[in-house]
Amino acid sequence: MTNSLRTTLGTVAIALLSLFALLPFYIMTIMGTYQNEELFSKIVLVPGNYLLENFKTVAASRFDLVYLNSLIVSLSSTVLSVLVSAFAGFAFAKHEFKHKNKIFAAVLLTMMIPGQLGLVAYVIEMRYLGMSGTLLPLILPWVANAFGVFWMTQFIKSAVPTEVLESARIDGSSDIGVFFRIVIPFIYPAITTLSLLVFLWSWNNYLLPLIIINKPELYTIPLGITSLGGAYRTDLAAQILGLTIGTFPVLLLFAIGSKSFIRGLTAGSVKG
Amino acid sequence: MVKKSWVPYFFLSPYILFYLAFGLIPILFSFYVSLTSWDGISSRTFVGLDNYKFLFNQDSYFLLSVGNTLLFVVLTLPLQIIFGLIIASLLYSRWVKWKGFFQLVNFLPYIVTPVAVGLMFNLLFDWQAGFVNKLLLHLGLVDEAVYWLGDPLYARMVIVLMLFWKGFGYTMIFYLAGLANIPKDLNEAAQVDGASFLRIFMSITLPLLKPVTVFIVITGIIGGFQLLEEPMMLLGGSGMGSSAAVIGGPDRCCLTTVWNMYDTAYGSTTRYGLGAAIAYGLCVIIAVFSFIGARFYRGEQQ
Repeated sequence: MTNSLRTTLGTVAIALLSLFALLPFYIMTIMGTYQNEELFSKIVLVPGNYLLENFKTVAASRFDLVYLNSLIVSLSSTVLSVLVSAFAGFAFAKHEFKHKNKIFAAVLLTMMIPGQLGLVAYVIEMRYLGMSGTLLPLILPWVANAFGVFWMTQFIKSAVPTEVLESARIDGSSDIGVFFRIVIPFIYPAITTLSLLVFLWSWNNYLLPLIIINKPELYTIPLGITSLGGAYRTDLAAQILGLTIGTFPVLLLFAIGSKSFIRGLTAGSVKG
Repeated sequence: MVKKSWVPYFFLSPYILFYLAFGLIPILFSFYVSLTSWDGISSRTFVGLDNYKFLFNQDSYFLLSVGNTLLFVVLTLPLQIIFGLIIASLLYSRWVKWKGFFQLVNFLPYIVTPVAVGLMFNLLFDWQAGFVNKLLLHLGLVDEAVYWLGDPLYARMVIVLMLFWKGFGYTMIFYLAGLANIPKDLNEAAQVDGASFLRIFMSITLPLLKPVTVFIVITGIIGGFQLLEEPMMLLGGSGMGSSAAVIGGPDRCCLTTVWNMYDTAYGSTTRYGLGAAIAYGLCVIIAVFSFIGARFYRGEQQ
């Protein structure tokens, strides 16, 4: 076999598998451009002409508010989680203190615990603290993020030169000043990766908002998508368009940041 | 320079405080709740290990849900591993163009909100408006629409297909990272010695990818046991499409452990104690199966 034939065959094989990955997205997008009745009567393969009408129906359900809630939750979770993780990572990577290794091992161990373990009591705790009518319960669990601490510790260890820290301290910088002015600029790549991960995790979270959030004004995207069915039960096409609108922007974000996102996901797997 | 001993504790304290307040305390309190009978409104009564004993009773659906979840993991993981490895190897070889594009496309399903994944497949397999039935009817492969989501066997098949669709790109990126980590001169030396592509793959590439596979198996088990949204949305409950809302699908054939926990504590019943006991049972099962998964794989290799 010649090399160019191999290249063609290999590319065709991958393209076919990629079609399998893309088909559900395609059908979903196409179905959102038709009038409801048409969806039941024929196979739809090319875009229809009812997109604008369906969009009006979706817009009427205040989907923009749902988006805003999700953005508030995911951005706050991301900022807090990254900051707290970088703080802890700085302590583990560049400081000495009692029982450091044991504490670090304990943090790693908590990575193995499924998030649902404390769920029942967490919901009770939030109600007890009077926070169940706010978005805070959806943000707080992400702040102490064991993976984030692990990720930041590894990165700060290798990326931040200790001599630079020492000389900044000798020049009279406070420890907080050293962190924000010296450490942070060295770890931008790690911040990007961790931000994308936490953003996605909190964005996709469904179980916790399903249990805690009880008013539509506080719905996040996953709740908003599922409640579309109840909002206009008879209009499947509008539901599907809502699903498409709720899905695509975050896909776009991750398409742009996919390189550093994938680096974060695969961290630690290769060395076993 | 004076080393200030409080500095590391200062940087560590936000993490510790948040973990204690919103991680550890709920976990410990959940254990206490699991020893009580409580619906959240009336007073708690201490019942000892009764909730845990009840997990083994058929009426709790606990063992059924664990069996279902395990079935999905066992059927999906090998598919994801085989296809993930094939695609990664193709993408890593010299024989494919537009690698970055194909890598992204195959990874997209993994990023989609799980709720949306379930709803998308609900749409595809809806018996009235679904694409699959329409295509099958159009091609004349079936005489009447198949009730995919109303039959236990078919519903399970759709779930396996859905989880496979969502997850193969995830295993792919791990194998890509693993392949990139294999020294190139190893392959070249084998090629010089006249080894075939298949021989190199079986004797060099696969063994060197072992840590990646172990990682995929363990995280696959941990993630698989937390399965909730996809089957929940697929089998109704949202009011989308035309499928009726049933807990766990027909005959509860697709009731997963977390779905069971949700339904016990916040759905059909509000038995917080039993819900918390299910969560602890789930944690133990995840630990046991991750251990077995790792051992099984290592044993097979030796």
